Amino acid sequence: MNALDLLLLTSLGTVLFSVVFSASLTGRMLLTMLYAVQTVILFQIDAGTEMVSSFGFEIFNHALGLSFNGLSWFFALITLGSAFFAAWYGLNQQQKLLHVGLSANVFSMLVLLSAGDFLSLFIAWELVSWSGVLLMVLGKQESLVATLKYITYAIAGGMAVFAGIILIYSWTGSLAFNAVTENPLSLSQYGTLAILLIGGFSVKMALLPFHLWQAEAYALTSGPASVFLGAISARMGLFAIVITMMHVVDLKTLDSIFLIPELFTFRDFLIWVAALSIILPTYTALRQNDARLLLAWHGIGQGGYMMLGLLMYDQMGSAGGLLHVFNYASCQAILFMSVFSILHRTGTTNLNQLGGLVARMPLSFLAMLVGIIGLAGLPPMNGFVSKWLVYRSLLSDGMAIVFLASVIGTLGTILSVYKLMHNSFLGQLRVEHEHVKEAPWSMTVPMMLLAIIIFITGVMPGISLELVANAQSAIGLTPVDYHLGGVVSANSAISGDLDMIWVVLVLFSGFGIAAILFLSAGKSRRVHQLDNYAGGHFLNANNQYQYSDNFYAGLMHIIKPWYRYSFKWFEGAVVSFVNLAAVFSRSFFNQAHMLIWMLVVVTTVMAVAII
Amino acid sequence: MKHYIILTVILPLLVAFLLPTIGRFSYFLARALPPIILIFSIVITACVYNNETAPFALHIGDFVAPQGIVFHVDSISLLMALSVQVFALFLWPRRSFKLQSEQIVSNKRYSLMLLLVASANGLAFSGDLFNLYVFYELLAVATFGLISFDTNEANQARFAAAFRYLVISATGSVMALLGIALVYFLTGTLNFAHLATQQANLFNPIGLSAFALLLVGFGVKAELFPVNSWVPEVYSAASKKLSGYLAGVISKLAVLVIIKALLFIFPHSEAAYLMLGLGLAGLLIGELSAMRSNDFTRMISWSSVAQLGLVFIAFSIPGQAGIIAGLAVLFHHMFVKTALFLIAEKWGGRISDLHGQGYLNLIMSGIFIFVALSLIGLPPLPGFWSKFLLLNGLAGQEYYFAIAIILITTVIEVNYLFRVANHLFSREDKPVLPINNHHWFDTLTASLIVVALIVAVWELPTINDQLIIMSDQLLDIESYVNRVLISTENGL
Repeated sequence: MNALDLLLLTSLGTVLFSVVFSASLTGRMLLTMLYAVQTVILFQIDAGTEMVSSFGFEIFNHALGLSFNGLSWFFALITLGSAFFAAWYGLNQQQKLLHVGLSANVFSMLVLLSAGDFLSLFIAWELVSWSGVLLMVLGKQESLVATLKYITYAIAGGMAVFAGIILIYSWTGSLAFNAVTENPLSLSQYGTLAILLIGGFSVKMALLPFHLWQAEAYALTSGPASVFLGAISARMGLFAIVITMMHVVDLKTLDSIFLIPELFTFRDFLIWVAALSIILPTYTALRQNDARLLLAWHGIGQGGYMMLGLLMYDQMGSAGGLLHVFNYASCQAILFMSVFSILHRTGTTNLNQLGGLVARMPLSFLAMLVGIIGLAGLPPMNGFVSKWLVYRSLLSDGMAIVFLASVIGTLGTILSVYKLMHNSFLGQLRVEHEHVKEAPWSMTVPMMLLAIIIFITGVMPGISLELVANAQSAIGLTPVDYHLGGVVSANSAISGDLDMIWVVLVLFSGFGIAAILFLSAGKSRRVHQLDNYAGGHFLNANNQYQYSDNFYAGLMHIIKPWYRYSFKWFEGAVVSFVNLAAVFSRSFFNQAHMLIWMLVVVTTVMAVAII
Repeated sequence: MKHYIILTVILPLLVAFLLPTIGRFSYFLARALPPIILIFSIVITACVYNNETAPFALHIGDFVAPQGIVFHVDSISLLMALSVQVFALFLWPRRSFKLQSEQIVSNKRYSLMLLLVASANGLAFSGDLFNLYVFYELLAVATFGLISFDTNEANQARFAAAFRYLVISATGSVMALLGIALVYFLTGTLNFAHLATQQANLFNPIGLSAFALLLVGFGVKAELFPVNSWVPEVYSAASKKLSGYLAGVISKLAVLVIIKALLFIFPHSEAAYLMLGLGLAGLLIGELSAMRSNDFTRMISWSSVAQLGLVFIAFSIPGQAGIIAGLAVLFHHMFVKTALFLIAEKWGGRISDLHGQGYLNLIMSGIFIFVALSLIGLPPLPGFWSKFLLLNGLAGQEYYFAIAIILITTVIEVNYLFRVANHLFSREDKPVLPINNHHWFDTLTASLIVVALIVAVWELPTINDQLIIMSDQLLDIESYVNRVLISTENGL
């Protein structure tokens, strides 16, 4: 029994434990500890080599096996970390389904990450899809509606994957991961597999045009569940896409499948899908008035960066894409935590009914500040490093237009996360929130720990880059050349090293100068927020000086005509089409016609047969 | 020992006819006798299944094969007979003896159920087309009676449904009879073994027409598209246990008859394509109609139509892969659909009326979700493996179109089944409608089905071996012919 077996067994044990004991607070504390134990066991696995589990069984002459490599290790760490923080954050949540669902998700994800062949990959994929349901149904009625939409999308993706795997089996006669590499297929077969597998997996990743389910499903459930789902759940799609690129259609093959002859390859198509997945959902997020939905829409947009980085498939780009999984998970987790602690204390996440909470919930504010800096990709937080790597790779590959697209996406991110913070924490405190208290310790402590992680991996990205480098060598790429402060460019012709320690030093010396100026300006006087004036008017409780309704009115005036809701329309069209077909099929069974149909079939067959 | 297998047909038949008389003397004897008979024949079938070298032919009355009546007993027919009896025992109509008149109705129901079991066993074992037809008609008659008699309250909808079913079924029987007549016209025999030796005579347009007639005729019970319009009406009008029995078990026997017709009468690609086409149409239209249903019973009835379409698609794959996949889908559906109809016993009716029920009846809603997941094919539940076998078979024949339709309809299936789950666990502020809990015996049966499905996951390799053995036996037509036509010394 090796460490991988132990990890899987502990994870399964955690599920059983959560079924029995999650009703009591002590049980939930132990449960949180169990995620930490799993993380410790994970560290016993050497990320640099492949470890094969002794579990496995044979079915219909296929040997199913489980194994772990650097890529699995990297994703497993993020999964366990997210689960640990989500469980801690949810210590006071008494919904049993939450804790069972969390542990079931972790277990199924670990099985997915250790899948050793296509069949076990598919089995684990379906388990991940269905265990996601357990976490999504925890909200009000609206969360049930969102879950039904999710599972319909997820199974549609799953069935595409199923078709791909069946095709691999019938074309190569094997379900092992090396099936395709050992039996090369024709270009059209590669194309079919790419559409089915990458298309199917990208449903989970919520790449365009399969993104409509995600925001509601992830955001409208209970807090800890949102934290976990938002942080890692969708990234299982990315993992599976990497597996596909590694074992089925590599990027070179994708680059040789031309959608428009001599002009536009399948890879270009995917790159544009990724770029649009950055821009469109981000600007949809900008229009959200519910803080949870705003964050969840960002989750879709950030997935585009990861996909973009991976599609570059070079040293820097793929490192950026993978590193962004880690960085984004930490930022999204802390942001969801902050937003749900607002919900916990004020009972709303409607951005038009909040404001000024910084005075009442300073720790949550700090958490959100760290989170939005990271999510927007600004130094000194970790989001900057991964985005820098992706940009760098785009520029050195000469993809200026895609680079521009991703910068537009980042602009949208900055605008909308500012809206998030401004409307909730800044401005005037509302009267009804006068007596709001800071979130309980069980919520603030994990937030603060995450903030530290985000800052440290921002200043010293070498820590997380080591994991990324392991993952890169596991998928057969040249690992990125990293040091504690950042990366060294492999190609010395293009200058462009990054050392975050220097960046942060420069940044903080700037802050230092500002602080000196601020302190030398003389003493400031604290006043009550209503003992003030704005625009020449004195303020009172009824007269809001913070505007949040119709935020960014000017910008919206310009870009509003660009929102076309085409995907929503398309989704509606598909639903209408299916409904129409269903109406037709029902009318087909009109009783009066039945015997006629019976005769028609038989006489047709007889006539055809005799002629 | 092996001759006793005939008792599984004769005993229920005998008791079915004696029961009304017995009921006049002692109601309790009439109540107790049928289950005892069933258990007795289950024991016989199980013993034969365990002890005997399974495929053997029984020449009734020691008459030589093409002229005499032959029972051919192999693993599939034994397993089908076993399912017929076991499911009949678990889905046995509950008595109600408050009133004298209800006792009489109950007695009638008991004899009809026994008639159904006897004729279904006969269908499983018969070795010639004419006997099949006789048993099929007997089965149909028993079904008409059961549907219209089913519960004690008079219900016009039930009579209407039974009458429409009667009309469709009778037309189907006429077609089947015409098909049998064509087969007899071409070959001069109706014995399957004898037919198998004369397949050359059948491989012509008239033979194909005969197969088409048999397919559509027997397809009425097998819920084959397009002769399945009776399904939702009858299943929602009759008692749900009976519907579960008809959808789960009896329809499979009709499928078996059609498979025999395919293998022995017209084993050519035209016939397989016909089955594939009708199966696909049934699958697509069944799932789409189920999606539009607002009524739980009708929804699962449509879903049963779709699943039988899946069975036909599977059997249309030539060779062993098709038989294995078909049997896997068939047996899986037998369990799952029975459980769903047991759930519908109390939950039949508008789906929106179920809102919030899940919180009150966690066991039944848990069973529903489990069974639905298996039906959809969540790995590693048995439904997934049956679908895996099916899709592999289809991919081997390059029927990519069929694969696409099966996978797309799976998505539709997920949507409507989990819409029900959404209603069950709805969090809307509406008062939960008072619905009685399921009878403990139904809950027990449904739980046993869940246990059986879980055990099946563990025993997957064994099941796979069994499926291979069954398909070998079914496909080995040469030994079949030898057993039936030559080894007459084994007669009774």
